[in-house]
Amino acid sequence: MSFSNTQWLALSPFLLLSAAIVALMLSIAFKRRHDGNATMAVIGLNCTLVLILVLLLISKGRVELTPLLVVDNYALFYGAIILMTTLATATLSHAYLDGFKGEREEMYLLLAISALGGLVLACAQHFASLFIGLEILSVPLYAMIAYPVKKRHSLEGGVKYLVLSAVASAFMLFGIALLYSQVGSMGFAEVGAFFAAHDFELISNRVALLGGALLLIAIAFKLSLVPFHLWTPDVYEGAPAPVTSYLATASKTAVFAVLLRYFVEAGGYHQTALIEVLAVLAFVSILVGNVLAVRQNNVKRMMAYSSIAHFGYCMVALVAGGPLAVEAVGAYLLSYVITTLGAFGVLTLTSSPMGDRDADLNYDYRGLFWRRPYLASIMTAMLLSLAGIPATAGFIGKFYVIAAGLDAKLWWLLGAVVVGSAIGLYYYLRLLIAMFLLDPARHRFSAALDWAQHVGGIMVLLLTLAMMGMGLFPQPFIDLIRHAALQPG
Amino acid sequence: MSFFFYLAAAVAVIATLFVIGGRNPVHALLYLVVSLLAVAGIFFMMGAPFAGALEVIVYAGAIMVLFVFVVMMLNLGQATVDQERHWIQMRYWVGPGLLSAILLAGLLFVLGNGGTHPMSMTEVSAKQVGIHLFGPYLLAVELASMLLLAALVAAYHLGKHD
Repeated sequence: MSFSNTQWLALSPFLLLSAAIVALMLSIAFKRRHDGNATMAVIGLNCTLVLILVLLLISKGRVELTPLLVVDNYALFYGAIILMTTLATATLSHAYLDGFKGEREEMYLLLAISALGGLVLACAQHFASLFIGLEILSVPLYAMIAYPVKKRHSLEGGVKYLVLSAVASAFMLFGIALLYSQVGSMGFAEVGAFFAAHDFELISNRVALLGGALLLIAIAFKLSLVPFHLWTPDVYEGAPAPVTSYLATASKTAVFAVLLRYFVEAGGYHQTALIEVLAVLAFVSILVGNVLAVRQNNVKRMMAYSSIAHFGYCMVALVAGGPLAVEAVGAYLLSYVITTLGAFGVLTLTSSPMGDRDADLNYDYRGLFWRRPYLASIMTAMLLSLAGIPATAGFIGKFYVIAAGLDAKLWWLLGAVVVGSAIGLYYYLRLLIAMFLLDPARHRFSAALDWAQHVGGIMVLLLTLAMMGMGLFPQPFIDLIRHAALQPG
Repeated sequence: MSFFFYLAAAVAVIATLFVIGGRNPVHALLYLVVSLLAVAGIFFMMGAPFAGALEVIVYAGAIMVLFVFVVMMLNLGQATVDQERHWIQMRYWVGPGLLSAILLAGLLFVLGNGGTHPMSMTEVSAKQVGIHLFGPYLLAVELASMLLLAALVAAYHLGKHD
């Protein structure tokens, strides 16, 4: 196997990130220093991010690296989102882990490996790389969720995620095997050609249909769409705050990126029966996610249910298909990632350094505005963006989703989006009001006074700027998303 | 000749059911080994001797080692000896033994008939597997090493007592 210069260039982010992982592992093995090792991880991730952005800028077009991976603008765009998220998580973890009694350094190693899995998923064009990427993404997450092993909730969350993830992987492997038995290849292009050729008789090819369905079940589990969502609130609640933010953003974005590529390049859109099922899943996810979020007094659980609903919205854009789908999904995911990271950033800063529990109750935020006005303002902006209020990033994302749905005339799904957004506003505002209530005499949590001078605080401020920028002046972001379009196969 | 496939598949399914239903982990492991052997038999029948051999060596072999380790590390002293004596009763090993015997009988039957199954006409040798692994699937092999590293670090962190 020999690569040309262009291929080496396309492969370079993988090589750089892997080298950073190995270097980090060796440095931890030689000497444990929390600050030093965290800095090393952040430098490695930053270099990879810059490299990916440069590659996106010079845009070599579509470069195939063996039948497994393809590096195009789409992959680079999602790779950049994943690395950005990982960086944010790493910086947030630093202040948070200062309160952790055990060994803190593994967190950065696991994060970096998980980010590598996300990169692989963004570039996957073969079922083998899809599966390996998904496993590299998930295996470090088991340990990250259960990082404070002594805590009951964390351990419970980790075990739940481990068992259900393994079941989902089994579904996925069986689905892939069934598809392979019909197509005779695992490459997305060949699978796409097969589905395009058998468009009308697909209903009669039960095996291929079942294979596609099993694959989607596994994906729906990772995206926690209803009815595969039962793990989400417990895992979100149990995981340490920075890990929850990673779980809600990077891992889901990577899975959605590969799902969209599967649909566009591997002829998922020819499986009309599955599209209908997905539409129902999106509908139920939006309604169930939003309705269950209303009753939560725990912010992490509320965010878990709200993320179920958000991926329902995103799925509407995917179901819509057509020329706008890829752009709409890109815009929605970008706005979702920035906003969710910001909200979890505030949550993490408030919980740092780690105590016997995170600041995840509504009550913990009562009067936050009077204690940490800027932090509470950031949280306010992020919650408004999650609700999709105009002049925030969330509005642009929702606008795109509704435009894509209108294009495809998905009236009942659009109805669900509208109703869901209305319910969403209610529970986001509930947290918002709590922050502006009078400061209770006894409060347990407030971020360090100099939070804005720490890396985590700076990251949250940057995210706020990005969120406002995308909401007020979206054109550069839209240009970037258009640059990362996907060519239908 | 497809009867061997159904035989092996049935043995695998039955043994796996016993793994799931078994209350004693050690007995469940025994059934798991039988199940893996049955799957290895299917690999052999399909003309993939390399994959079959790996299944036997890595899975069945490694799990046997694990089983021995479990017995060695968790149970020490006189109580263990009694427990061992208790375990070597016929009703504990007759199930896995019977299933293995069925597999063996099927294997001997297939070998006796010359082993001309249409599925096994194309044989996948170890060399071909190697060429594929270090050709189009090169990156998958490299990425698998990262996956193992992740699993190792995760297991180290979660399993550490301090």
